[in-house]
Amino acid sequence: MKENMNPADTKFHEVLRAARPMPSLPPRFQENVWRRIEDAEASAKSGSWLDAFAALVLRPRFAYATVATLVLAGVLLGTYQGAQTAKQNEQARYVALVAPNPLR
Amino acid sequence: MNRSLVILLGALALGAAVFAGSYFISQRACLMTRSADDLSWLRDEFHLSDAEMARVRQLHEGYMPQCAKMCALLAAKRGEVQAALAGSTNITAEAQKKLTELGELRAQCQAQMLQHFITVSQAMPPEQGQRYLAEMKQLTLGSHEEIESRMAGSDHAGHEHGTN
Repeated sequence: MKENMNPADTKFHEVLRAARPMPSLPPRFQENVWRRIEDAEASAKSGSWLDAFAALVLRPRFAYATVATLVLAGVLLGTYQGAQTAKQNEQARYVALVAPNPLR
Repeated sequence: MNRSLVILLGALALGAAVFAGSYFISQRACLMTRSADDLSWLRDEFHLSDAEMARVRQLHEGYMPQCAKMCALLAAKRGEVQAALAGSTNITAEAQKKLTELGELRAQCQAQMLQHFITVSQAMPPEQGQRYLAEMKQLTLGSHEEIESRMAGSDHAGHEHGTN
């Protein structure tokens, strides 16, 4: 296509190019561009991870299962701790009865 | 703030509240449903049958008035010791006598208490009885042994007697 150009057009383009001088690029322009591209990709990646996890949390099946697990764990641990505390209280009550402090 | 982050933090807080709520409710329920019987610890800890428990209860009820009598005697003797020591700057012969009497009375009480533990242990199956006796000795006389061993340990540090 270029070969078919009219010599007058070629001259016109040269004049046009000369009329719009290309400004010189700032130092480390290319490196800065790549860095900004990488930063944008990284934030997009972490955002997508959080979004995926939030979407999982909001799924009813996952939410019910988590609540049920937490309730079960709380009840088991609470019952175990309650039994231990009750046992210690009962032991202390018996010892205080049969061996009051002045006798120990 | 990011919407997903808010959702996750909210879910975390809700989960913590659910766990804490079920933990505390079940703990309180467990404490409230326990027996108010003074001897329930013996039944549970040493797996006593009803017959063994009845025998232990009988021994316990027989011992309690003796224990109360001894405690009253000890309290009276402590009052005498305090009266003998009041206002004096050194140990008088009277105070020394009262202290000795207090010590003897305390030893008598402890002997009676140990005898009760031995009698109760004999009303249990042999293995449980031994365990009961060991535990009661530890719980009642263990603190004395601990104090005495601590004092013996500090003997070198604090009570340096001259050897020359």
